Amino acid sequence: MKTIKILHMYADMLDLYGDSGNMEIIKYRCQKRGIDCQVTAYTVGDKAPDFSSYDLIYIGGGADLEQQHISEDLIKYKNDIKKAYSSGVFLFLICGGYQLMGKYYRDADGNDIPGLGLFDYFTIAPSSRRLRCIGNIVVRTKFTGRTVDVVGFENHGGQTQGVKTPFGEVLCGNGNCSKSKAEGYFEKNVIATYLHGPCLAKNPEISDYMIAYCLSRNSDEKVKLKKLDDSLENECRKVMINRLIKNKK
Amino acid sequence: MNRLLILIGKIIVKILHLFKRNAGNLPGIILWHLTRGKCCKMFKVSCPIIAVTGTNGKTSVTNCIAQLFQQSGKKIIINKEGNNLDTGICSLLLRYCDSSGMVNADYLILETDESHVPVVYSQLKLETLVVLDFFRDQLDRNGEMETLIQKINNFCKTFEGNLILNGDDPNTARLGKANPGNKNVKYFHAEPYAFATKTAYEASEGHFCPFCGESLVYDYYQYSHIGKFHCPKCDFGKYEPYITASGIDLEKPVFTADGRTYSPKLNSIYNVYNMTAVAAAAKLYRIKPEITDKIISKYTVKNGRMENFMLGDRKTTLNLAKNPVGANMTLRVMNEMNGEKELLFVLNDNVADGLDVSWIWDINFSIFERVTRVVTSGTRAYDIAVRIKCSGYDPEKIAVKPDLDEAVAELASTPGRKFVIANYTAVQPTRSALKRYISKHGGKQNEND
Repeated sequence: MKTIKILHMYADMLDLYGDSGNMEIIKYRCQKRGIDCQVTAYTVGDKAPDFSSYDLIYIGGGADLEQQHISEDLIKYKNDIKKAYSSGVFLFLICGGYQLMGKYYRDADGNDIPGLGLFDYFTIAPSSRRLRCIGNIVVRTKFTGRTVDVVGFENHGGQTQGVKTPFGEVLCGNGNCSKSKAEGYFEKNVIATYLHGPCLAKNPEISDYMIAYCLSRNSDEKVKLKKLDDSLENECRKVMINRLIKNKK
Repeated sequence: MNRLLILIGKIIVKILHLFKRNAGNLPGIILWHLTRGKCCKMFKVSCPIIAVTGTNGKTSVTNCIAQLFQQSGKKIIINKEGNNLDTGICSLLLRYCDSSGMVNADYLILETDESHVPVVYSQLKLETLVVLDFFRDQLDRNGEMETLIQKINNFCKTFEGNLILNGDDPNTARLGKANPGNKNVKYFHAEPYAFATKTAYEASEGHFCPFCGESLVYDYYQYSHIGKFHCPKCDFGKYEPYITASGIDLEKPVFTADGRTYSPKLNSIYNVYNMTAVAAAAKLYRIKPEITDKIISKYTVKNGRMENFMLGDRKTTLNLAKNPVGANMTLRVMNEMNGEKELLFVLNDNVADGLDVSWIWDINFSIFERVTRVVTSGTRAYDIAVRIKCSGYDPEKIAVKPDLDEAVAELASTPGRKFVIANYTAVQPTRSALKRYISKHGGKQNEND
């Protein structure tokens, strides 16, 4: 049996807006295909993980207070995470996890929380805590090579700038900045996004892209995944897209 | 100026009543605009005000505290319909004040929305604030919970009145340290009940000490993040309880607080906490023990809170779940019951529900036992279906019926015990659909155990 090893960082703290559901979904989709999926949780106080030994590193989003706490811990692993990423480990980053991989996060009071600096982007929170990008969001992506419209829910104050390769184009909602065109950050082994919901709930293509990547990365052939019955997921997404795009018009 | 505003307000109330419209909020909204947001400032309240706030249990606790005073022969004013924003409270006071804005009563008992506590009580003098709990609820409407707690915390910094706090919720207990000069901070607390756990059972907040950042240590969790906690580094969580619920036995149900044993009607740990808050208020205001006993023992809830129906001969229990904590509680009750059962889950995403439905992923569906079928409905019927499917439940046994009447018909199409969970705006339409089914096919509503 094939095995995927996932490191779920700060699972007990960064689990706002159902983000832990993403792990449940990946495990579910692996299990349906007979793929062994091992998710290891890491949290503050645990012994340092061997980042490069995993196929995928996942970091979710959290409340402001919790995010501050973990950033101090995360920075200790700057070089290890960089090394893992360069060696092809997949990074799946939601909201706070996305922000922390950039250069810095400037909070509402103007203090800079340093990021890991893996990528060039940076995030600035508006000085008023009331200004937030909140709502359902539809993003047109091409990560599979085909057009896939993904649906989620964004809720972030931070405005992320300097993204050169976004995850997709916003059809409805805000994206990286208030009323912006681009959403998230993408490389072949990085999906970073503001989409909660959780992100994978209505977008099975994202799960399958990551599962296929993880299975293929250390083998010569490209793995083709068994198709699953996604009728509930697809219907769910269709209902939302119809409603959101229609409302916009 | 005040008199004019009051007059305008009273006329609006009259007009609305004339047209048989509910004047619960609209007069306040109009005055809010006329007063530039200070719509509660024009009233003169001669009596003490007691406010109740928190995510869950506000309505129950407000009603019970009101009854404590009512049964003691006091004249009280209460926002019964749950109009708990500044505009709702303004509308309420408009109905009771005289032409100068003077409100006469013995006590004002006001359920107050968490985010409106500082707004309302910077305008009206508050004597006692009861804070029950803070959970993830409608986060997208209120902004992050931390912002909300900080708003109330700022208010508490200068508040010198009575502060009755849930000492088992770190999110509320921290408010007790906002004003070190306030000698009137009182914590209520509950000893572990039979289903208390050593580790957290559901996704929860409040992992860190808000004062020093250390991870909080729990002796036990009652549910969600509610339990006996303390900070190993600083003194947060070390307090002398004002009142403690002990000997909690939900089978009977029974619990003891302040030397008296109560036999409440509702058998949930929620209710024990709520009633302990009520007992704390009773103690503070020296209510006669017989009266407190009567109210705590008699209190029960309707309107979709563990409400029973008979769909034909199928016993059905409807419960409101605004957040994962509420839903997990219903699932536990369902699981602890023997025999096979079916579940209808109605999920809406209207503004009052919060547009974000991701909270359903914090519900622990993997505990399902002997659940033979699931029907889903509401504006987000598919979201809840996907969620239940991904918990490992057989998708073949899930029926998605966004239309409520179809959903209820589907639920009632098989024999056996039924449970219905509906979120905030879904509850009343679900009740109506159940009643419609009963009127067509027979059965009974509000059948009590």
